[in-house]
Amino acid sequence: MTSPGTPAAAPIRVVLVDDHRMFRTGVKAELEDTGAPLDFVGEAPDVDSAVKVIRETTPDVVLLDVHLPGGMGNGGVDVLHGCAGVETAAGQPVRFLALSVSDAAEDVIAVIRAGARGYVTKTISGTDLATGIRRVAAGDAVFSPRLAGFVLDAFGAAAGEIAEVDEELDRLSAREREVMRLIARGYQYKEVAKELFISVKTVETHVSSVLRKLQLSNRHELTAWAMGRRLI
Amino acid sequence: MAIPYDSTIPVPPAPVRLVRPRTGRWIGGVSAGIAAHIGVDVVIVRVVMVGLGLMGVGIFGYLFLWALTNEGEPGVAAPVPDARTARRSEALAYVLLGVLALVLGATALEHGGSLISTSFLFPIIIIGVGGVLAYGQLDDTQRGAWLGTGAREWRGVVRLVLGLLLVVGGMIALTSWGRSLTQLGGSLLSTLAVLFGVALIAAPYMMRVWSDLREEQAARARADERADIAAHLHDSVLQTLALIQRRSHDQAMVAQLARAQERELRSFLYGAQKNNHDSLSSAVADVCHEVEDVRGVPIELVATGDRSLDADGLALVAALREALVNAVKHGEPPIRVYLEAGPSGVEAFVRDHGPGFDLEEVPEDRLGLRHSILQRMERHGGSARIRRLEAGTEVELRLPPRQAATVPATPVPQPQEPQQPQQPQEPQQPRATQGES
Repeated sequence: MTSPGTPAAAPIRVVLVDDHRMFRTGVKAELEDTGAPLDFVGEAPDVDSAVKVIRETTPDVVLLDVHLPGGMGNGGVDVLHGCAGVETAAGQPVRFLALSVSDAAEDVIAVIRAGARGYVTKTISGTDLATGIRRVAAGDAVFSPRLAGFVLDAFGAAAGEIAEVDEELDRLSAREREVMRLIARGYQYKEVAKELFISVKTVETHVSSVLRKLQLSNRHELTAWAMGRRLI
Repeated sequence: MAIPYDSTIPVPPAPVRLVRPRTGRWIGGVSAGIAAHIGVDVVIVRVVMVGLGLMGVGIFGYLFLWALTNEGEPGVAAPVPDARTARRSEALAYVLLGVLALVLGATALEHGGSLISTSFLFPIIIIGVGGVLAYGQLDDTQRGAWLGTGAREWRGVVRLVLGLLLVVGGMIALTSWGRSLTQLGGSLLSTLAVLFGVALIAAPYMMRVWSDLREEQAARARADERADIAAHLHDSVLQTLALIQRRSHDQAMVAQLARAQERELRSFLYGAQKNNHDSLSSAVADVCHEVEDVRGVPIELVATGDRSLDADGLALVAALREALVNAVKHGEPPIRVYLEAGPSGVEAFVRDHGPGFDLEEVPEDRLGLRHSILQRMERHGGSARIRRLEAGTEVELRLPPRQAATVPATPVPQPQEPQQPQQPQEPQQPRATQGES
């Protein structure tokens, strides 16, 4: 058991799933340049080999491309379904960080709802990606500004809908909305913390709670997202 | 001897092919086609055709021509009637045919077929005309309508019904030839039995043709799409790649080209949501793209909510543009724009990650920009604020909700705004107190 927050304890075991070899090599090189304690234990170019590799190596974090060939044709979502319940040697669930070039809301929402712990775009810097991997490994969520924007839209937060109680799944609480807004504005977690006078840990808690809502909510916009998006 | 091309030399008109026009037809468009082909008035052709038809020859000639000529629009030389008269003449034709069918039915009932049974020819004419009319449907409403992908017009339905009536009437007349009215029921039954049998035999074949057509159509749609994508990739991606290879030494240029291409491709792949050009978010997106193109610095835009573009919105977009140019000039990437339009008004943030700046090194034009941002927003009942963060600068633009736009400019109430409220629209203060946050 590695306690979250002490990343130096053991290198994070990472599997890279992307159908472009050039991209895999590039990401690996970039992450190695940051000097982050990462151990690349495997990589896979498509859904079926990804599921196999992940089941064999049981990594801490899988960097998962949203669009992949193979499987049922649903790309990253199929990998997530194929690896449901797989645990690492330490007994933690294998965690997934979606990495995508796609801005399409339905793709993002689909992988998050299938169980990914976060979503970042491929233009992310190596340092930010390393931080993201560490966060996901520790069980926290990683939101790109764009995902935060999606969330605000999907939960009607931009339209002023705010949950009365934090536990409400279909709406964001006022604090969660603030955190999402700051992330959408491009703030790092520690900047968000400073801005709201809370600790980074609290920010992480809020983001994780938003992730949970995103995964569990039955809100109509989340299920019929694409349609609603086009109607606007 | 080569003659240089001279566009003033009139090109001899191409001979008009014999086609059956889609408009101005009565039955199958054969007469109209012939009229256009030989350049005679269509009325004359029709009179001749009817005359020939009554003699019997015309029917077969008509059917022959109908079966062998394609549908299409004759050349411009043909006297094409305008749509309204064409439709009127078509309607007239339907009425005439309807009357014909009624008269036929009435006489058949009244005389027990004795009148019309004087000749084989008459019922055959009826059947022929009915058949042409019904099958003409195939030409008229294009295949799409038959395949269920298009709306069938009422005219098509009228045609089909009339044609069927004529065919059935003709067949009854034919089978009840020389018999009395009492036997009409039997002949009706046998006619229906024959029709049913034919339908039964033809049905599987028709189904196959139908599904083949469907498949063919789907395949063609796919091929078209492929061709579209290929054309698009050629126009955009390949051109950009070629440009990048030529200018590979110019790093900034390469980055800018790649970025512009990425954006373009993205909107091609996932886009079609930016077609609404009078919404605030699309205007903001346009501005971001414009600055990005001109300056070659990537700008990330996140927008939630939207509203239509009014004068206030335009002011916000203009101020945002200034802020962006400012950020690109003096800040460092990543530069992010966040736009939120909701019931509590519009908020826009432009954030860069530059090292920040000292007041003394701020050149005159920046002060001017600041004024243009600030005053512009205030003129429209909004507010602007420039904040220094630990890493970078953030410009914040606000507009009040729309219904409150006429109310004197007051800061928008912000119940959930835990940011430092001690800087009410004073851009100099946060500058001076640098390092604070």
